[in-house]
Amino acid sequence: MTIEATAKRVHIIQGEYKVVSDPDVVLSTILGSCVAACLRDPVAGVGGMNHFLLPGSVNSLASGGDATRYGVHLMELLINGLLKRGARRDRLEAKVFGGAKTISTFSNVGEQNAAFAMQFLKDEGIPVVSSSVGGEHGRKLEYWPISGRARQYPLTGAETQKTVALEQRPVPAVRPVENSIEFF
Amino acid sequence: MSLAEKIKVLIVDDQVTSRLLLSDALTQLGFKQITAAGDGEQGMKIMEQQPHHLVISDFNMPKMDGLGFLQAVRTNPTTKKAAFIILTAQGDRALVQKAAQLGANNVLAKPFTIEKMKAAIEAVFGALK
Repeated sequence: MTIEATAKRVHIIQGEYKVVSDPDVVLSTILGSCVAACLRDPVAGVGGMNHFLLPGSVNSLASGGDATRYGVHLMELLINGLLKRGARRDRLEAKVFGGAKTISTFSNVGEQNAAFAMQFLKDEGIPVVSSSVGGEHGRKLEYWPISGRARQYPLTGAETQKTVALEQRPVPAVRPVENSIEFF
Repeated sequence: MSLAEKIKVLIVDDQVTSRLLLSDALTQLGFKQITAAGDGEQGMKIMEQQPHHLVISDFNMPKMDGLGFLQAVRTNPTTKKAAFIILTAQGDRALVQKAAQLGANNVLAKPFTIEKMKAAIEAVFGALK
């Protein structure tokens, strides 16, 4: 039996993140313009992935904006999840995938999302050990969070269009959580 | 001078990017006196040297987390009167209650909008302008 056949597959969709410490788990996702950041601490044996698409134009990190804050939030959830499982910030390493430029939209949303992820990781001092971003084709991605191994398959033109169409449906998770409580 | 300009704010977050966004949002709200720290320990040192009127602190941080920092601020006679707003990336009821018990003035959920941040601060200090 091959490793792939015994692996526990966990699929991640847009707006989600997953942290695991089981070496048999493979995280998988399908990316059009979306970006997935894969992070792990090789010493603690814990890793994870998120999957996001920041709406509209993502300004530079310094200029703020709701989309930027949402992106930072998604990265933070993944990092916090890793730290809770014993990872250390100074040992984290990243791989970044996705952000295809698609013909249907004529926009560079994918490119901006990839640039956002790269800039965030740079600012936080987390090294990007490898990345595959941009291009005209979407990707099917598999990531083994403990070993850090990643494998991607290009989507065909039709699959890419279908994926991008799905990505651009409104995502309910984009709005901030309404749990601010005023004490007085 | 507006109220916002008079208030000395200390932001405490372990993520560089979050500190940047917080500082940017505060600047947009008219705050001029903003100091930043990377964790509770560093934040406490700054507060002891120069007490700030308002502390906006993340919850999840290495060394001293947001609640530990809140406790330290509240038990130190020179810093105990500071207004304290805790930031949380996850909507956690237990955390919110614990923060209230320890004397937090408000909670702000991430990702926040400028309006939410304004409302959270105004609930403590009154109208900023």
